[in-house]
Amino acid sequence: MFKKSKYRAAGVMVLMSVMFTLPTRADEYGILMKTLANPYWGAMADGVKAGAESAGVDYYIQAVESDQAAESQLNVCNTMLERRPVAMITAAINSTNLLPCLKSATERGIKVVDLDVNLDPAILASAGIEITFSIGSDNVLAGAQGAQYLVSRLGSDATGPVLVIEGLSGNVTGEKRAAGFVNKLAELAPGLEVVASLPGDWDRGKAANITNDIMMRNPDLVGIFAANDGMALGAVESVFAAGKGGEVIIIGVDGNSDAIKSINRGRLTASVAQLPYLVGRKAIEKVKTAVTFGSAEGKFVVPTLVLTKDLIDTGTEPLLEFVK
Amino acid sequence: MTREHRERLFGIWTRLQKKANEQLHVRLESVVVLIGLVLIMAGLSPYFWSVSNFMNILLATSTIGVLAIAATFVLSSGGLDLSIGSIVGLSGVVGASVAVNLGMSTPVAVLATIGSGALAGLINGWIITRGFVPAFIVTLGMLGVARGLALVISDGRVIYGLPDWMLFLGQGRPYGIPMPVLILVSVAFIMHIVLAYTRYGRHTLAIGDNENAARTAGINVGLHRLSLYVLSGGLAGLAGLLFATRINSGDPTAGITYELTAITAAIIGGTNLFGGRGSILGTMIGALIMGVLQNGLNLLAVQSYYQQMAIGGVLVLAVFIDQFQHRQEEARV
Repeated sequence: MFKKSKYRAAGVMVLMSVMFTLPTRADEYGILMKTLANPYWGAMADGVKAGAESAGVDYYIQAVESDQAAESQLNVCNTMLERRPVAMITAAINSTNLLPCLKSATERGIKVVDLDVNLDPAILASAGIEITFSIGSDNVLAGAQGAQYLVSRLGSDATGPVLVIEGLSGNVTGEKRAAGFVNKLAELAPGLEVVASLPGDWDRGKAANITNDIMMRNPDLVGIFAANDGMALGAVESVFAAGKGGEVIIIGVDGNSDAIKSINRGRLTASVAQLPYLVGRKAIEKVKTAVTFGSAEGKFVVPTLVLTKDLIDTGTEPLLEFVK
Repeated sequence: MTREHRERLFGIWTRLQKKANEQLHVRLESVVVLIGLVLIMAGLSPYFWSVSNFMNILLATSTIGVLAIAATFVLSSGGLDLSIGSIVGLSGVVGASVAVNLGMSTPVAVLATIGSGALAGLINGWIITRGFVPAFIVTLGMLGVARGLALVISDGRVIYGLPDWMLFLGQGRPYGIPMPVLILVSVAFIMHIVLAYTRYGRHTLAIGDNENAARTAGINVGLHRLSLYVLSGGLAGLAGLLFATRINSGDPTAGITYELTAITAAIIGGTNLFGGRGSILGTMIGALIMGVLQNGLNLLAVQSYYQQMAIGGVLVLAVFIDQFQHRQEEARV
């Protein structure tokens, strides 16, 4: 009896000591995306992999099931911290869901990178979270570029109703794109009236329904701006199904592979291409700089360009190389 | 292994099973599966076996865990509540709205959160017991209504910035243990005792096992059912509180598809889908099995799609083992 309890106690001590020690490993970068279902994030993941290979760093990528799985992403983020990465590069689903995890990362001295500018600096400051840098496209500029393109097609004295399909409610990225578009449009062509600005939640189906309803209300719709390609493609289907194929100019944002196929086939009119591949690659390179040399600058902007059939056919634009 | 050895081992197993079932009200298989899974994950990833990771697992399981308790009670009585996921979203938004937009104190906000859930549960229970509409339909309807109401109240956006006291419930770490974990463990402990050892719990299981017999025995089935839906809604409200305070905002999209995950956890833990059998300890083990699986696969950087497949597989396996054993027992008798 005495012998048994001695072994039992020893066994418990071994277990406890293992539980309280941390394994050592090489420096790893943790990358948390939204969902790989959207080709935009797939392209960014490719860019990350390419960047990591050229920079020679170890990394692990995780994503969650959908654009809306906020708690899931928080849980995955917490779990990723367990691997004690040297840097956490996150694309948060909204500006608040990862805050407890990022706070934890800041406290442990893990460098935090805001991928694709999903976090709000004011909220970060009040939560005491320090991010090393944020990298992404300038979403306000992207929206403005969409407006510029629409006006270039219709003319600055054009009149008519325009529909804006926003992103997921409360998401900073979507808000910036919509605001950028609306403000630039008012500035360039006051005759074009935004008759509705509704959240499409980044969902193709929802955007299709919204487009149907607004077309019913405004049969003379001249333009649709959607805050991402998925929603723009949903709007495209509704417009073509209503037989108004060539009459409505439809502009998306992202420039993902589905959008390019659609533009080539003459359905989607244009997409303000972000360069997620470039964003991913640059993010890793900059993090390596930050980790190696201790700092990097605050915010990096990767350019966006308006993709149209003409631009793609001509093929001379240098940034096209990064459109994946 | 000789035949005698096999029979003796089988005898020990059956005796342990009986003890676990009668004294702890839990299925031995679930415990064994959980321990096995923990050991496998520990073997596969060096990051798994640490206090902070275990805390992570418990923290990640906290919202679903509370919902699974609600599901256990309702399922045990032969009912079904599909609206608990939407109630998580609605209650979170109501609580955040009361705290941030109306500026009320934390206790009022907490009460509003849980109360709104209980109210939704009351409506569910009322229509089910007085209107005689099937629970599936009523709670399915409430799933839509609650979600829509959450979006209406919040205007589709997250309500950010809860007061500090309220935030403590989701992010506080007294003695290093996250508050949601403490809340989950205490609620589970209390509810386990209620379901396994009180008359209320026994009546719940009786109604699920044989409603007519329960009614003949003098149990007020209608009133009891009503109380169960109120309890379910209230617990969903509590889950909504934990969720909102974890991410410091009332999110109207919180809890989408959570009702299915909660029911899965309850069933993996041994609750019978058609009623009559259930235990909170079993449900907690079911929720932990899912939590360990997800955490382990996350640490191994396995994509979340495979995790979903794995959980689906575990669910079917769990019910298969359960049914297999029942058929064996009946054959022996």
